[in-house]
This record gives sequence, structure tokens and C-alpha cells, in this order.
Amino acid sequence: MKIFNMKNIIVILALISSITLVSCEETIKLDLKQINPKVVIEGMITDQPNMQYVKLTRSANFYADGETPRITNGTVTVKDDQDNTYVFVHNPENKKELEGIYYPETPFTGVVGRTYFLTVLVDDQKFEAQDKLNPVTNVDSVTFKLDEDEKKDPKKAGKYYSMLIYAKEPKPSVDYYLFKFYRNDTLVFDDESDVYFSDDANIAENIDGIEGASHFGIGDTASVQFYSLDHDAFIYYNDLANLLQNAGGIFGSPPANSRTNLTNGALGFFQVSAVSSASAVLKKK
Amino acid sequence: MIRLLLIATFISLSFSAWSQEKVTINGYIKDSQTGEELIGVNVYIPQLKAGTVTNPYGFYSLTLEKGTYDLQFSYVGYQTHSINIDLIQNESKNIEMASEATYIKEVVVSDKAIDANVVDVQMSKNTLNMEQIRKLPSLFGEVDIIKNIQMLPGVISAGEGTSSFYVRGGSADQNLILIDEAPIYDPSHLGGLISVFNADVIKDSELYKGGIPARFGGRLSSMLEVRTKDGNNKKFGVSAGIGTLASRLMVEGPIKKEKSSFIVSARASNLGLYLKAANVKNGVSFYDINGKVNWRANNNNRFFTAFYSGRDKITFNGGDAGFGWGNTTGTFRWNHLFNERLFSNTSVIASQFDYSLRVNDPVQGFEWTSKIQELSVKNDLTYFINTNNELTFGYHITGRIFQPGNIRPTSSRSIFTSTQLDMMYGLDHGLYISNQQKVSNRITLDYGLRLSVFQNIGRSNVYTYKDPHDNTTIERTDTLHYKAWKNIKVYPNLEPRLAIRYLVRDGQSVKLSYNRMAQNTHLISAGTVPLPFNTWSPSSYYLKPQIADQVAAGYFRNLRDNMFEISVETYYKSMQKVTDFADNAQIFFNRDISTEYRQGKSWSYGAEFMVTKKEGRLNGMISYTLSKTMRKVPGVNNGEAFPSNYDRRHVINMQAVYELSKRWTLGGNFIYNTGRPITLPAGKFEYSSYHPDVITERNGYRLPPVHRLDLSATFIPRKNDNRKWKSQWIFSVYNVYSRKNPFTIYTRTKRDSDGNVVGDGTIKEARMIYLFPILPSVTYNVKF
Repeated sequence: MKIFNMKNIIVILALISSITLVSCEETIKLDLKQINPKVVIEGMITDQPNMQYVKLTRSANFYADGETPRITNGTVTVKDDQDNTYVFVHNPENKKELEGIYYPETPFTGVVGRTYFLTVLVDDQKFEAQDKLNPVTNVDSVTFKLDEDEKKDPKKAGKYYSMLIYAKEPKPSVDYYLFKFYRNDTLVFDDESDVYFSDDANIAENIDGIEGASHFGIGDTASVQFYSLDHDAFIYYNDLANLLQNAGGIFGSPPANSRTNLTNGALGFFQVSAVSSASAVLKKK
Repeated sequence: MIRLLLIATFISLSFSAWSQEKVTINGYIKDSQTGEELIGVNVYIPQLKAGTVTNPYGFYSLTLEKGTYDLQFSYVGYQTHSINIDLIQNESKNIEMASEATYIKEVVVSDKAIDANVVDVQMSKNTLNMEQIRKLPSLFGEVDIIKNIQMLPGVISAGEGTSSFYVRGGSADQNLILIDEAPIYDPSHLGGLISVFNADVIKDSELYKGGIPARFGGRLSSMLEVRTKDGNNKKFGVSAGIGTLASRLMVEGPIKKEKSSFIVSARASNLGLYLKAANVKNGVSFYDINGKVNWRANNNNRFFTAFYSGRDKITFNGGDAGFGWGNTTGTFRWNHLFNERLFSNTSVIASQFDYSLRVNDPVQGFEWTSKIQELSVKNDLTYFINTNNELTFGYHITGRIFQPGNIRPTSSRSIFTSTQLDMMYGLDHGLYISNQQKVSNRITLDYGLRLSVFQNIGRSNVYTYKDPHDNTTIERTDTLHYKAWKNIKVYPNLEPRLAIRYLVRDGQSVKLSYNRMAQNTHLISAGTVPLPFNTWSPSSYYLKPQIADQVAAGYFRNLRDNMFEISVETYYKSMQKVTDFADNAQIFFNRDISTEYRQGKSWSYGAEFMVTKKEGRLNGMISYTLSKTMRKVPGVNNGEAFPSNYDRRHVINMQAVYELSKRWTLGGNFIYNTGRPITLPAGKFEYSSYHPDVITERNGYRLPPVHRLDLSATFIPRKNDNRKWKSQWIFSVYNVYSRKNPFTIYTRTKRDSDGNVVGDGTIKEARMIYLFPILPSVTYNVKF
């Protein structure tokens, strides 16, 4: 999948132009400064059931391996603009892999048009954020297309079909999107640093078979999710992509932390989205 | 403005009235072989211990008491020429000088040699010696003046393999790059591997880093003037060359002998051939065309028309995507002598830079184009008052049209819609006057004043914001509509210029200079190395003019009959309102780009030491620069000062050419510089499936130092001696010891050598990109 975002296309092309002629690279060991770990918050409220969570972690040293430290003693509450309060509890099923993740004590789903307020307390430090639940357009359908280039040299044996996505981008509303792609329920990317997001400023009404990420083989299920974003969230993902794909500020702006809706210097974002999705199974022809 | 012009005219009139008793000798100085006019030739009168130098058009004028004088004409690489003249009335004397190369080596050039380095008032100026550059090693064997400029003291390269440079702590867009007076907005081919200047047609080039004369304006840090050859007005000549990157062909000759001449030169890349041979589906190509017609109607009227056009085209995957960029310039020039002492140059100059980017895809196809165009008229007058005073004044007007970006879909099914960003317009006026005054045998002054008035005019729409610096929420409050030609903002600036030369004794001088510069054309680039895809913007409602004040002091000494030139220069440069951008600035296709502007201060200081050996079998230069450049911009790096991208503590450059024999000449370059500042992470965190870096400060780290040795050998075959066809082989080795010079560093998820993610994908690593390992190349040139 090529990213809709113009800036990314430019940066990639520019990099290719000046470097592909002759360039080499190698891994080097950096002697980096040490900082106190920062609190990281990943919050998600959607209009779909069982997709609400808040994950609390801390940043780690650049060269640390394994998971970053989890925060298990935080206090997490979410309110909406209708004065509903939802208390989140840490890892209620007590599973090792869900450490650091907080789920609502009583399940709820977000409502389009409402604004949600997050409050997190960690060791007497208070972090807050708010985000609005915007509507999302429906994904019409997903089809497949044989990718000739991929067939010649597939990254994974037998997987050389691209998914094509069809949708209507509503005009004249101003919308922002985050896209996620799955192969048999596994999140997939062309490159693990890819962020698939877009605004609709230069986008026409008909999304007429745009390629999704990764490739699929016979029998695979391909799914796509559209998440609605508000402007702050769009900026967050834009900055995140900038940070993940930064080439050391040589051609583009130097790497910088993403702008976020979280207060008090926390990293991460509190995202509130409507979600639509579509999927299809690749059958034998 | 009109009043100032009147004052200037008045001054010139009063001076002419005051010096009636004197007579004037003037003329043009040319190369005896080619008829090329020579710039900066020393004209010296031993009886008076006074003289002048030829102006950029090869013209000199001396106003003297009636009498008998010796006139000595001296110029680097030329036989000194002397005449004795009995001056009783105004006289024109055109001089032809023979280059040393045309003489047999045994003839010793023993006349007074060249000491312009010491004697000129102008400091902080470097002239490139094209003859020497041809013998030095070059990247891919392409002789490139920009790569040589990057080796001058006080100048640093934006990075290996780039055609951008920074002068005394200034950014790349603070350099005015002129070819035959026309500005070049992006001097790069192939993303900077080589520059747009085809060495075949370049006559000379000069870089002003400080003490910039009043006739130049518009950029803060430097002026690079590249002049092309006029074309041989005596006989036809053809030269051609084949190199690793490009092939060249140049034709020159008289249209009407001694009266008019032409030169046409073309260069085109060979890369397509290799890519085809290697079965690569990407296409890379570029070309350059330079042309010039030169017509001397009579001694009082001369006309030149020069043209340049160059373009790059890169395509991917057999044409699925592609982009291109190019500069086109045209210059028409009229040199006119109103009388013996009033020389005028009038130029009409046009320049365009454009780029486009195209993706051919039924669904995601689009084409993006952007351009900047300018048209200017310049009138520069030099009034040679007497041997002690030379008055220069003039008026420049430039109109610019900025088209920041248009997008259109390339297929009916495309997801893109047609959109375009508002055009912007600027009118730039420059009015200046300066006088070079010889106060005594020891002291010469050059003082002047430039008034620049910049108008950002309509038609345009300007958005107002609740907070013009908030680039996150971006709340527009109103739109101001400006009609065509209506002033949106007017920025006047007075720019004083001053230079003093004090001759300590023969061969030794001390110089001082001060200049203020204002800049109203800004490159919108947030990176270290500018890209052809960066757009330009005029000063506007939100973007203020950049201002620089620079003081410089230097000591200049020539030794052993000017065989050695030694210079030590120190400078302090303070820049206001340098253009920077907010963290995470969105600089491409952003209607609210003004919310990303952050203007602040920058200051730079340093010392530059240089020794040049100009003559002998071994010649070359060694330079060392110690400098520091900082920036402090509100809204960037939490408002704290940080090392600028253009900060390099130590820089050492060496160039040497050794004439081994009549057949073989050897050349060598060595460079060393402190690594560039870079922003690197202080940690990492988890978000969704990503592992982004934690950033704490701007430019808090440095890349490893850069150093490199290049060698070359030029071979002239024996067969040349008795045939008309002269050939030459140049063998060049770039980066002899294959140093991995860092270009940049980026971070990613740790991967193995096949590109597969290692472990659970939580481990990160840093990757250093370096461009060129050892690179040998061969170039073959012919001339007949």
C-alpha cells in the first residue's frame, strides 16, 4: 500500500533519488544520553464493543530489549460529555500478556458525536486528554488483484495477491482516517514502520479500488478497518510517521516527539474513533 | 528613491566638473588567443604607485594628469604586459594579453607579479582557478566548481554528494548563485551529485563571503558569480569529452571576426546506457545547454545574450512514477560607455525554476507541479572619477512569481482532486551607491549604501489565525483578500557596506569590513540538505525579511614575489529572523504553512587560515577554519539555543597539483571536518505495534567526522605535439582509502542482513548511511 499522504511520497522519492545511485549503510552503536523514563499512554475508545482499553507503559533505553516496563498501579477513568463515567481496571483477567492494559469495569461502546475525557493517575502524577468521536464512512467492499511483481519474488511463498478497497469519501465534510489491515486477524504492514492514515483534502469522492498493505494467498482472509480521527489524532499519526520514517533530518524536518492531546509530558495518544470494516476470503479461481 | 537617484546623478556631475583638467585612458583587456575579456586584471602605473582593476566586463578606466606613463597589465596565468603612453587627450586602449601557457616554458615571467590578494580592498572573496580545478580529482571525473567551492575556507558542504553549501554559518538559501547574472534556484543535477555548471563554458567564478559590495543584495551569506565564456572571436574551436556520468560538446567561434562571437555547449548524462545495460527499470537522466552570443558594435556599445537551460528526469519502475526539475535562465546585457569615464551596464534577466512529480497509477495517479519565475532589470553605472575615486551606483528591480504547488489527477479514476495553492508575488527594488576611495598610498576605502525595498503584493488571500503560531489546532479567523498589485506588506531595509584596506608595507595588508544584508526570498526547507522539491516563498504577511550583520577582519601577506599568498580572516556574523520551522512542520502542500514558520536568531563566528601557492611545479592550497554557529528560535528546541545544522568546529582542506612531466600532472584533495549536528533519540517507547524513539533535544549529537583523500592524474599523449587534435586523459580516484563518511543516521527495528526482523521486533538499532566508497573514474577530452 502506498501511503495517501503526499509528504511521505516526496520524502521517499527524494531519498531514493539521491541515494540509490550509490549508497551503503551499516549498523553503528550510538553512545546515547540516558533520561528518566517517561509515562506512555495508549488510549482507545471506539463505537464498537470490546475495543475500549488504555495501556500504560514507560519509555525505555534505546538499546533495551523486550517489552518496555508496564505500569500496573495506575488509576484510569474515562468520562463523556453526557456525564457518564467509566472506571478502567488493570488486567482484569490477570493475563501475563495483558499487563499494563486497563479495561472498562463495565463494558460500554462509544457514541458518535460525543467527546471523551481521559484521566490517568500514576504515582501522584496526573495526565489528561480529550478527543471527539467522529463518524466514519462505510467500507463498501474488498476484492483481490494479482500482483505480477510480487509473484516473481514473493516475500512469503504463495502470497502475491493485493487487496483492493472500495469506499465513498463523503464530501463536503472534513474527515481524517487511520487504516489497519489484517491477514487472518494478524495486523499486517508492508514495512513495520508504516502508518496508514490520510486526510481528505486532495481526495476525490470515489475510492475506486485502492491497494491495501501486504499480500495474500489462496484461502487467506483480508480485512481492512477504517478508523475516524479528529484533527489532533491526524496530527499525532502524521508526526508518528515522520518520527518512525525519519532519515536523521537530512532532507525532511529533524525527528521530534509527536504532538499529542495528553497533558503533562506523557507520550502516546488518547484516540476516540468510529470504526468500519470489510473483509473477503481469497478463493481459488 | 527618486531623490537618491538624483543625488547620485548630482554627485557624478559635480565630480566631472571638478576634474576637467585631467584626461582619461580606458579600454577592454582581452585574451590574445580567444578574445575573451579578462576580469580583475591589475592595471598599474609605477610612476603614480596607483592603478585600477578591470571590472566584470573586462573594462578599465584611469583618469590622470596629462603626461607620460608606463601602464602595466598583470593577471594570474598571463604574461605581464607593459605599454608606455604619452597621454595628452582622452584615449581608448584595448589590450590583448597572452596566457603563459601559449609561451614556451623557458620564457620566465619576471615582471611584477600579481598581488591582488593583498592590494584589493575586497576581503573574504575567493576566485576559482578553472585551470587548476581541471587538474584536481573530482567525483566521477566531472569537473565541478561547486565541489571546489565547498573546499574553500569558511564554506562547508551540505553533505557528500550534494551541490549545496553553507557560508560562514548561513543556510543554503542564503547564497545567491548567479550564472551570467541570472539566479539559479537549485544548482543540482542528480540530486546534487554534480552541479549545473558545465566546466567547459565557465570563464571564472568568484565567491563573496563577507564585505559584500553594495551592488549585490538579496541574500545574507554569499554571492557566487559564475561567468561563462564569451566565445572565441578569432577562430572556431570544438571540444568534447566523455566521462563516467556525462558527455560534453562545446563549439565556439567568431560570427564576424573580432566583432562578434558565439559559444554553445551541451552536456548530457550517460547514465541511461548503464541502467539499460544493467536492466534496471529506473531511468535517470539530465542535460545542460549553455549558449552565448557576444557582439561588439563598437568600443562604446557591446551586447551579450546568454542562455542556460538544464533539466533532470528520474523515472521509477518503467515509468510508474517519476520526477524532474530544471532551471532556465536568460540574460541580455548592454555595456555602454557614455563617455570615457562613465561605464554603464544594463541587464534584463529572466530565470525560472520548476519541478514536477508524477505518479502514473489508475487509482493513485497524480501530478504535482511547482515553479518560481523572475524577471529583473538592472542598471549599474561606474563613474571613474579619478585615480583615487571610483563611484558605482545603480538600480535593480525584480518581479517574482511563486507558484507553490498544483495537484491534478492523472486518470479519471484517481482518488486525487485538482487543487492548487495560492500564487504569491514579490517586487524587489534595490538602489545603491558606493565609492572606492584611495585615501593615501596605504589606505583605500570602499563605502556604500544599499536601499532595498521589498513589496509582497496581490493578488493573494491571506488567512488570519487565532494564534498564528499554533500549528496543531489551526483556527482561521478571517481571510484578507488583496487585489492584483496591492501591497500586502512592504519591507524597506537600509544596508550599509564598508571595507577598509591598510597596506602595512609591500606585500602585507590589513583589511576590515562590515556589511548588512537583507533577504526576502526564503527556501521552505526544514531539512539539512535542500531538495529540488522545496518551494520558495517571498517575505510575506507572516514571513519577515532575514537580516545579517557581519564584521570581518583579516591579515593578508604575499611571500616570495607573490608565489605564496597567506591570509587570516576572522568574522562575526549575527543573523536576525532566520527562517526555521516548528517541530514536525508540514512544509509540503500546506495551506496553513505560515503556522509552521518560526523565525529566530543565529550567530556565527570563526577564524579562517589559508596558504596558497600560486606558481611552480607544485601549487595548491591548505586551509583551516575554526568556527561555531548557533541558533535560538522561539518554539524550536523549547526556545533553547542549539548548534545550527551548519555548525562544524574544525575544517581542514588541502588541494595540490604537481606537474610531474610534460605529459603527466598529478592532483590531490584532502578534506577533514567535524561531523554535522544531528538529532538522535534518548530512548524508545511502545505505541500500538510501533516502537518510536523518544527525542529530547534538537541537534544534541554529532555525526562522526568526515575525512577523505582523492587523487588524480592528467595525461597528455605525445601525439598531441604535432597534430591539431589535442586530447587528454584524466584518471581520478575518489575516496582513496574508502572512508565510510557518514551522510546521516536513522533508527529502525533490528534486522538481520537479509532484512528480516530480529527477535520479537522490540529491539532497535541505528543505521549509518554513507554514500561513496572508493570510486575510480576516467574522463577523455578532445579539443581541436
